[in-house]
Amino acid sequence: MRRAWFPVTFLLLYMTQNLQAQRATEYQVKAAFILNFSKFVEWPGDAFARQSDIFILGVLGKDPFGDYLDEIVEGEKIEGKKLIIQRYNSVDDIHDCQILFINVPEETGAVIKRLKGRSILTVSDDADFSRAGGIIQFYKQDDAIRLQINPDAAKEANLTLSSKLLRIAKIDESDIPDE
Amino acid sequence: MSKNASIQQKMMKVIMLTSGIVLFMTCAAFFVYEYITARHLLKRQILTLGEIVATNSTAALAFDSHEDAVEILNALRAERNIKAAALYDENGELFAKYPSNISPFFLPKHPGRLGYYYNDIFLEGFHSVVQNNTRLGTLFLRSDLQTIYQRFLLYGILATLFIIISFIFSWFISRRLQKSVSKPILELADTAKVVSDEKNYSVRATKHSEDEVGALTDAFNHMLTRIEIQNAEITGLNQNLEIKVRDRTHQLENAFDALKKQTELTEKILDSSVDLIAVFDTNLCYVTVNKHAEQTYNIKREELTGRYIEDVFPQTRNSGMIDDLRKAVNGEFVRHVDYLSGVTKRHYENFYIPLKDKDGKVYRVLTIAHDITDIMEANEKLQTLNTELEKSNRELEQFAYVASHDLQEPLRKIQTFSELGERNINNEEIVRRYLGKVSSSAQRMTELIKAVLNYSRLSKAENEFVAVDLNTIIQSIMVDLELLIQEKQAVIRHNRLPVIYGIPLQLHQLFINLITNSLKFNERVPVIDITSREVHGREIEGEEAIVKDRSYVQITFTDNGIGFDQKFADKVFSIFQRLHSDKTIAGTGIGLAICKKIVENHQGVISVRSEVKKGTTFFIYLPMLHIRSDQLTNTSSTNTHAF
Repeated sequence: MRRAWFPVTFLLLYMTQNLQAQRATEYQVKAAFILNFSKFVEWPGDAFARQSDIFILGVLGKDPFGDYLDEIVEGEKIEGKKLIIQRYNSVDDIHDCQILFINVPEETGAVIKRLKGRSILTVSDDADFSRAGGIIQFYKQDDAIRLQINPDAAKEANLTLSSKLLRIAKIDESDIPDE
Repeated sequence: MSKNASIQQKMMKVIMLTSGIVLFMTCAAFFVYEYITARHLLKRQILTLGEIVATNSTAALAFDSHEDAVEILNALRAERNIKAAALYDENGELFAKYPSNISPFFLPKHPGRLGYYYNDIFLEGFHSVVQNNTRLGTLFLRSDLQTIYQRFLLYGILATLFIIISFIFSWFISRRLQKSVSKPILELADTAKVVSDEKNYSVRATKHSEDEVGALTDAFNHMLTRIEIQNAEITGLNQNLEIKVRDRTHQLENAFDALKKQTELTEKILDSSVDLIAVFDTNLCYVTVNKHAEQTYNIKREELTGRYIEDVFPQTRNSGMIDDLRKAVNGEFVRHVDYLSGVTKRHYENFYIPLKDKDGKVYRVLTIAHDITDIMEANEKLQTLNTELEKSNRELEQFAYVASHDLQEPLRKIQTFSELGERNINNEEIVRRYLGKVSSSAQRMTELIKAVLNYSRLSKAENEFVAVDLNTIIQSIMVDLELLIQEKQAVIRHNRLPVIYGIPLQLHQLFINLITNSLKFNERVPVIDITSREVHGREIEGEEAIVKDRSYVQITFTDNGIGFDQKFADKVFSIFQRLHSDKTIAGTGIGLAICKKIVENHQGVISVRSEVKKGTTFFIYLPMLHIRSDQLTNTSSTNTHAF
């Protein structure tokens, strides 16, 4: 009896997965993109000074991903480092962090300022994020999620972006605040 | 290679074929190497290209940038041999394709095994798209094999040209080189041809070099010299031999001629022989016969040869001839004086002569048969004549005796009564009486002499035999004796008598004598019965003169007369034998002697059976002749003889 049920179970499982894939939500895609950033960006050695065997993906402010980030990160490793999700309420909470999704619409500029000089790949949905000194900004074009990158900001954060990443993104020459 | 091609052509062919095979093999080896290399190279190229494209397309896949992916793939335009390319995302779904207008139908639906593989017309395969050890998707590349084919075409053209040119070169070179080898051989062959065609052993081959061909030339020349010498020797020997053969042949021919003549003579002698000559082998099969035998047996020599005598002549089975032949086979010389042949029915004097080989063993029997039939017949005739002569001599003696005795009696009477009359001359009555006695004695003497003459006349068998009807004879006798029969009142009876061969007068006398006797010696009324029947010679006993295988007429003559004692039966037929005194019965004593003589003249027999006072029966056997018109005047001969 158990055997007879096996094909049916398998079919149901397959259909469910397929359904989820088709209905990939905006944040699902964004979560996948965030994970992919780690493959096209090089962090300097001192970025992992304190905890060399973990790679931290942080979310500042309200988490729009739901469970997606946790699901996508499950079992993943970046250059041998274990991937961990950390959610921050305040900039002050951020210690070691390699990629940070910033979702504090009112305080974006302040956060960028606070994080200046630190090797953190900043990502945000905020319009003008890159112009404000953020490194990667999501935007929508023809229902597709696109990237806008500020290479100068990346340079300032001592991060090396792959030319391949730059090629598919819109490049933004930002006004970097004086301070 | 043709068997008739010259050595020159053969060498050329060998060289060309060898160089051709070497060239072909070399080109084939290069071709195979080139094929493997080209495929390997193409694979390497597409691998490199795939690596570049895959590396470039990581971001497009990672960040779902379709335009970028298409742009990267379109860069493959520069590579003309790439016919199709596609990118699949990490879930294996088609993400981008090249060329953009290609139907997904012609592309794999999902990525397959990694790596590139040749199929019939393409080199194609999958390449993983990896960024920082993370598989982002899969690249598919498809290349046609045009480059390989083009290389092969070029290579084929070059190889063909190379082979042709090499061939032409090798042909020219080998043509020049092979001459150094073939020329001396061909010259040698030409010389050998001259030798064999013209039978000229005086030519010599020219030597060109000191190699094997040179040695061959030397050996050939040496051989020719030897042949020349041997030829001369053989010719000499042949001439001697021819002379010897001619002489010997001549001798043989002479010997053969002599032998032939000898054989012909022998054959002629054998064939000229009036004797029958036959040669048998030890199994009594004919080996040969002479001409006379062929004619006698009316059979060809060839038909007899090898056949057993009894098979050829079944009459010889169990005959004396077979016994004689067997004796001769056992080495005995046999002479058979009187052999009656069952085949020819003639008499022969046969000789059976065993022919012996040098070991004394009999291997042939020579049979010579000399025909003695004529001699035998002459002998027989002589014997018959002799017998007759003896008989007639005996009769003559008897006659002389009888004549001297019986005829003397009336003479003595005449003498006595004449003397008595002389003495009583005066007594007329006595004289008359005595003269009467003399007269009757003279009368009787006359009768006796007449009877004797009559009897002797019978001995001369000059009368011819004719068909005689005995009934007619009896009838005429009864007419002749009519008076006597009436006087005695005699009864004469006879049944139907046959017609026989005989002398009518003698037969008449036979029966008249018998009937007269019966009438005369009878004291009662005479009764005479004459019967006849046909009997076979075998049934008649006690008579030497009877021929056994002959038919006879038995005539039985019976009377009721005075008869006589049976002991006198033999005597009654003797001349002048009288059983009864002439006082009562008149007679000359010669009648039955005449009867016997007549019957004997007819090759018959007469016998008698009698009883005193009762009667006498005569048995007369005469040869029965079945008369045919052509035989009426002929008597048949008695015996026929045969071989």
